[in-house]
Amino acid sequence: MLRPMTRLVCLIAALWLGGCANVAPWQRTRLAHPTMNESDGASASRQHLHEVREGAQGGDGSVSMGCGCN
Amino acid sequence: MQLKKAAARAAALTAALSLSAAAQSPKSKVRWDVGGEVGAYVDSDHVTVITPAASARARAPADGWTASGTALVDIVSAASVDIVSTASPRWTEVRTAGVLQAEYAPREWGGRAHVGGSVEPDTTTLTTGGGLFADLEQRTARTGLDYTFSRERAGRRDTPLSVYSLDLNRHTLTGSLDLVLGPATRFGVVADVMLESGRQEKPYRWLPLFDPDTPVPVGASIVEVHRLRLPAAVTERLPDARQRYALSGRLAHRFRDSTLVLWDRLYADSWAQYAATLDARWVLSPSRRFEAWPRVRLHAQTGVDFWRRAYRAQVTSGSVIAPTLRTGDRELSPLWTASLGPGVRWLIGKNDPRSMAFALELEGSYTDFRDALYIDHRTAVFGIASFQMRLD
Repeated sequence: MLRPMTRLVCLIAALWLGGCANVAPWQRTRLAHPTMNESDGASASRQHLHEVREGAQGGDGSVSMGCGCN
Repeated sequence: MQLKKAAARAAALTAALSLSAAAQSPKSKVRWDVGGEVGAYVDSDHVTVITPAASARARAPADGWTASGTALVDIVSAASVDIVSTASPRWTEVRTAGVLQAEYAPREWGGRAHVGGSVEPDTTTLTTGGGLFADLEQRTARTGLDYTFSRERAGRRDTPLSVYSLDLNRHTLTGSLDLVLGPATRFGVVADVMLESGRQEKPYRWLPLFDPDTPVPVGASIVEVHRLRLPAAVTERLPDARQRYALSGRLAHRFRDSTLVLWDRLYADSWAQYAATLDARWVLSPSRRFEAWPRVRLHAQTGVDFWRRAYRAQVTSGSVIAPTLRTGDRELSPLWTASLGPGVRWLIGKNDPRSMAFALELEGSYTDFRDALYIDHRTAVFGIASFQMRLD
């Protein structure tokens, strides 16, 4: 029986080794669409709202400006 | 003093990183993007927030550097039940926050740094950090490792921080992995470990205490609480350390005329709070100049292990024995929130439609507090109007 952390490492390793597709540069039109970017739809005020209204934090890859949220 | 020095060093490092990158190739073209937004929030607990924000970004793709900055002001006005229950009047507060970021990637690998902070009448926060990243497998994979340090100093309004302050340090280690799964699909994973040490309680947050045998219903009104409570009250007291862990996955797929973005986060911490959050957005592009989307966000969390709707106390011969750990922060209680709303964006650039854009978003949310005093739910409306322009 694998421990949860071991399972997680295995999952990430599987994604790493088998997840990457060999996509040629000329096939990346859709990948390059601006709506595929992480920054699309991001908002400083929305991020702050979530920091204040939800007990959970992190995982969104953004840089926090900090706040006395709680 | 040390905090100011650290901030100055970090700012100098960020500026030097940007300037040295720019100086390497004076002929390379620098592209500028500027933007602004105004967010407005109002909820059924009599809280309103207006947030104007501005951002700018300079980048030289040929040289591999990017520098950006964001600044915002939160104007908060509140007469929530927590304020009214302590017989305090409505208050208005202004929070100013900003962040500077720089990134330099001369080859398949690069570095990035940031410095930011926020100032409120009773709280000051400084955040700084940096990291490394690498593009692998012909840029079909990017992996990164970042470290962020932040220091928060909270005090009492109108009392100098040198006289009274509560300090909180936070160290955050972030690992990220972004993969191309196919010609139209990306998948990313972000893992955060946040180690906090210091004082997190709010000095003005007073909690009512109750006799062990007095039943207190969920959402008991202010009048009811005052009728049931003991004459004594205590301030909030939280543990001095907290370890927080977040793991998220982001899947983005571009269909012919639309993009589906799913983001999911699992969260756990050493206060035994567990949470799951799902954010989904489906951007429809019916024409070159118009986009529209529905957005839904679902969040559910447990309460921290010392959360009590009603803290019980023993009163004996003039002294009060209350639980050592206690909080009145409703965001540490068990709750769930559902948010839903539309967004539209007009792409109005002359040659390239995306060189100028105007967007409107509206979101309604409902929060159910499963085990709290004063209110058992909250409804809110949040709207954003934003504008972006590329200066070539």
